[in-house]
Amino acid sequence: MKKMKKIIFLSLLVSVGLALSVIESAMPMPVIVPGAKLGLSNMVILVTLVIFGFKEALIVGILKSLVFTLVTGSISSLFYSLSGAILSCILMFLVYKYFPSIFSLIGVSIFGAVAHNFAQVTIAVIIMNNMKIYSYLPILLLTSLFTGYFVGLASIFIVKNLKKTFNVFF
Amino acid sequence: MTKGDKYLIIFIVVISLISLGFIKNKAINYKEKYVSIQVNGKEYKKIIFDKKIIGKTFPIETEFGYNLIEIGDEKVRVIEASCPDELDVKQGYISKPGEVIVCLPNKLVIEIKGLEEERDVDYISH
Repeated sequence: MKKMKKIIFLSLLVSVGLALSVIESAMPMPVIVPGAKLGLSNMVILVTLVIFGFKEALIVGILKSLVFTLVTGSISSLFYSLSGAILSCILMFLVYKYFPSIFSLIGVSIFGAVAHNFAQVTIAVIIMNNMKIYSYLPILLLTSLFTGYFVGLASIFIVKNLKKTFNVFF
Repeated sequence: MTKGDKYLIIFIVVISLISLGFIKNKAINYKEKYVSIQVNGKEYKKIIFDKKIIGKTFPIETEFGYNLIEIGDEKVRVIEASCPDELDVKQGYISKPGEVIVCLPNKLVIEIKGLEEERDVDYISH
């Protein structure tokens, strides 16, 4: 019974992440930076990481990327979002587990956003076979600071409230 | 927000500003420049800037998709694309060596490159 509840909560988190991704892709950006996104679905991965653990966060991240590819229908974007999700999840887990006293969730989220951008640009470099694409990275890093900060801030509030709810269920 | 967060933010700002400055600085060192259009990692076309071709458009039609680029005065932009989000169109003109326009769905890279000056042997001293 407990396992079933966990599966249901994880699938709910996946669908929340999916909805956030769809809303995000419909949102116009004020500044045109190629590849820059708000990264709202990173919030879901971060919350899953805090409440459930690393394995569950990785599963949610991968499932979200796979289903989002089915929604948008562009297979080439699968590699970008999958690589970003996996690398950011691993880095966020390491920072969250080993340096909880140094970094709050804001720091963890910034690490995740930076890793996400780095993985995507690296995949683009590999696919396009052109090292010059790395010249996008500094601007992407600056934008990931802002998005990472607010994603972290939002996650702190979500975790505070969700922990109460989950304590009732588990 | 802990102290570590603040240091992390400052660290990333410094790193990205330094690398931005480095990229800009590298771009200034060239005088002659040309447009290199690459599809799927291979050079597809090379256009050297010239007063005569200002305003001309070049269609790039490959198996991955269609893009139309326009050459301006020492600058280049994409004006039409078959990709869904058209980020390459929104990016506008690029003009400095090292700047790139990337269209991921069409596997297209438009890059401004500097022509390296041919260097002769300056002096030979005995």
